[in-house]
Amino acid sequence: MNDSELAISFAIFAAKQRDASEVEPEHLLLGCLRAISRFGIATLGPWDLDLESHGIDWTRQPDGPRPKVAFSQTVVELLDRAAQIAKSAGESKVGVNHLLAAFANVDDGLMGELKRKHGMASASWRAAVAQLGFTPPVVAQANHPAIETKRARDYLTPEDAAEELGVHVQTMRAYIRSGRMPAFRLAGERAIRILRTDLEKVLEPLNEVKNGDK
Amino acid sequence: MPFFVVKRDLPGVTPEALQSAGLRAKSCCSEMTTEGKPVRWVRSFFLPETAQTHCYFEAPSRAAVEEANQRARIPFTQIVEVVEMTPEMV
Repeated sequence: MNDSELAISFAIFAAKQRDASEVEPEHLLLGCLRAISRFGIATLGPWDLDLESHGIDWTRQPDGPRPKVAFSQTVVELLDRAAQIAKSAGESKVGVNHLLAAFANVDDGLMGELKRKHGMASASWRAAVAQLGFTPPVVAQANHPAIETKRARDYLTPEDAAEELGVHVQTMRAYIRSGRMPAFRLAGERAIRILRTDLEKVLEPLNEVKNGDK
Repeated sequence: MPFFVVKRDLPGVTPEALQSAGLRAKSCCSEMTTEGKPVRWVRSFFLPETAQTHCYFEAPSRAAVEEANQRARIPFTQIVEVVEMTPEMV
C-alpha cells in the first residue's frame, strides 16, 4: 500500500467512524494528515497539526464490520485534481503530497478551519506541501541510528511503558508526542514500541528541577 | 473465483481522471476485502477510439463488483461474467 492508498484508507475509516454514508473532503483531509503524521502530529511546513484535536485517535486501527461508504462527488473531484497535480509534477503516481496540494484552494469545511486557525493561505499551504518531500515515517525511522542498536534490546508497548513508570497511558502518549520519549513504529505497522532503556529519559532529578525553577 | 468485465462509456475522459478512478477502485476493493467481501481489480483496458473501458475484476459475485464500482463512484454500463482463456490453456 503506497502513501496515497494509506491516506484514502484512513479517510474511509474516518468516514465510517462518523457513521457517514460518503467519504467527504473532511475525511480525505484527515486521512492525508494521518498518513503523514508521527505519533498523532502532522507536520506541514511551520504547522504542527494535532490530529486528536480533530477527533482522530491515531492509535486506532479499523476494526469490525461497519456500514459501507462511497466516495462523494466532491472527493472524486479532489482526487481528479490530485491526479492533475501529479501529472504537472511529472510523476506517474498520485502521492499523498498531491492529495494535500489538491486542498490548497479549498476554503470551507475542515480546510477552511485550518486556514483560519493557523493563518494559512493557499500559497503557503502549497509551499508547505511541496516541502513535505514525503518519506513514509516507517522508512525514515528505519534509517534512524537508534534502530541499528535495537536488535538485542528490550522493547515495550506504550501501555507497558506507562505501567513500568507508573503513569497513565495518556501521559506516556503525551511524552511521545512532545518528543521527550523516543518511540518507533514496527515496519509497515501502526504499532509503537519504546526502548526499555529510554524510559529514564523522562525522569528528571528532583534537585535539578528545583534549581531550574529558581 | 469468477471474473467479471465492467464496461464503461467515458466520452471525454482524461488520463488523470482514469488514474483517479483507478485509485478509487483499488481503495474500494481493498476496503471490501477487509470487510470480508473479497473483490480484486485485475486490470483495465481503455479503448481510445470508442472512449470505452473494459475493467476486469475477480469477485465471488456480480453484486460485489457492482458494489465496489458504486463505492468508487465510477459509472458503468454493464457488468458481465467472463471466462478466461490464455494461450497457455490451448
